Amino acid sequence: MSVIKKSNIKFLVGLFCLFSTTVSFAEVAVIVNKANNATIADSDISRVFLGKVKAFSNGDKITVINLKFKKPARNEFEDKVLNKSASQVKAYWSKLMFSGKGKPPKEFASDKDVLAFVAANQGAIGYIEAASADGSVKVIKTF
Amino acid sequence: MKKLTQSLLFSSMLVTYSAHADIAFNGFASIVGGVTTSNDEQLYGYDNTLSFDEGSLFAIQASSELGEGLSVTAQILSRGENDWKPDFEWAYVAYEANDNLRLLAGRQRIPFYMYSDFLDVSYAYPWISPPAGVYSTVINTFDGIGAIYSTNLDEFDVVVHGIYGNSDGEISVDTELTGKADAIFDNITGASMAVTRDWLTLRAAYFQADSTIGLLRLQPLVDGWSAAGFNDIADNISVFEDKSEFVEFGFQAIFDTVQVIGEYTELTTANTTVGDEDSYYIMVSKQFDTILASITYAVDEDHADAITGGVPTGVSPQLDALIALTNGATDAQEVDVTSITLGLRWDFHDSAALKFEYIDYSDDLNSDNDTGLLKAALVTVF
Repeated sequence: MSVIKKSNIKFLVGLFCLFSTTVSFAEVAVIVNKANNATIADSDISRVFLGKVKAFSNGDKITVINLKFKKPARNEFEDKVLNKSASQVKAYWSKLMFSGKGKPPKEFASDKDVLAFVAANQGAIGYIEAASADGSVKVIKTF
Repeated sequence: MKKLTQSLLFSSMLVTYSAHADIAFNGFASIVGGVTTSNDEQLYGYDNTLSFDEGSLFAIQASSELGEGLSVTAQILSRGENDWKPDFEWAYVAYEANDNLRLLAGRQRIPFYMYSDFLDVSYAYPWISPPAGVYSTVINTFDGIGAIYSTNLDEFDVVVHGIYGNSDGEISVDTELTGKADAIFDNITGASMAVTRDWLTLRAAYFQADSTIGLLRLQPLVDGWSAAGFNDIADNISVFEDKSEFVEFGFQAIFDTVQVIGEYTELTTANTTVGDEDSYYIMVSKQFDTILASITYAVDEDHADAITGGVPTGVSPQLDALIALTNGATDAQEVDVTSITLGLRWDFHDSAALKFEYIDYSDDLNSDNDTGLLKAALVTVF
């Protein structure tokens, strides 16, 4: 009898964890290369990260960089900027990938890796936790 | 010796290739279980015994960038309803001419519908499978060429997708009118266009094709009318290089957690006994954290005009019998179906979702066909 009860509680706790939303705790900064002199309208940022806008205003080709799944900054960015849940973003890229219309951006494991890539590549754009931003890149917007 | 050299050469070529080209593997799968709620009615291949093969599928996609904008992609898909026999669903070479223009050659999808491009990727849409009344063309892929032009006009994202090609494979159509019949579609030509601005997407598509369907079951009628000297009626019964036309209008509107999607389609095949199909659906969904609840209302109406109008009755019993049989064939195509689908999708995992659906199906011409269908699915992308 008590065994059944225990497993019931475990199940409920598990269910609760699945349903609870991720708590947001940090600001997210969108970063580009220091030499990038292009202007990006706020309304274009989500279109850039969804692969709909492929070139900067100065004509340079855009390389979008993403953070790995489960990174808090990624959740924050997808929620605030893309206005989509994690599974909606995944569904969005699945549509493009399995129809040959595009592929998801490259993913890096940490803010540090994103910083390094953006600092080294003129056409790159990414996002990191605002606190991780330093002088090696240009912050164009924080959310 | 020559053979050995050849095979050595070939394998060294393979080695060089694999050293240079990275091949990316991705895939998706749906495991679907379904059962009807009434004892003797079948619906979409389901009956009152729980079945797991209908609608279940597994797909692997391999793609490789060759450089200079060139890439190759193959998608192999096996369906439970075809005894899991694998088939190439897509197999094409793509060329990125520039940031706006992408050219495809090979086997690819016909962009009939809003969800054509990822028809089988259940993870990418709310339902277990898209509404059956609208999504009812007998073919979804073709072999040929395609061009996708995407551009941004101010805040509008515009995508135009044009195609030309054929579908001469062994596609069998199985309807009440035809029985099992082989179908060939030549000169499939047309385009779709989608415009998105912020929360709203509007879509339209037009395609045409020369259709040939081997209607063996109707051959006695064709012979009968020819023998009676009515060659035009005989012609109108057979489907031989007759022009089919397809039109689609669709929209998608997103208001924060609420989404409204609708599509209307019209399919006609002129000068044949094949009925004209008019179908539409409208879906409203709301997202509650990881749960998506949806309701879909769908209507499917088919109609075939009688083709015996100019023939006098009462001239001879043989002719009267021909008229009756032919009218029977066109009458049999009358369809008037309404369905309401209640759906739940639960995103319980990063790359997998559980879906539950109840479809209430009512046949407005024959209420004996009314039934309910319960479905559950585990869908994933990887």
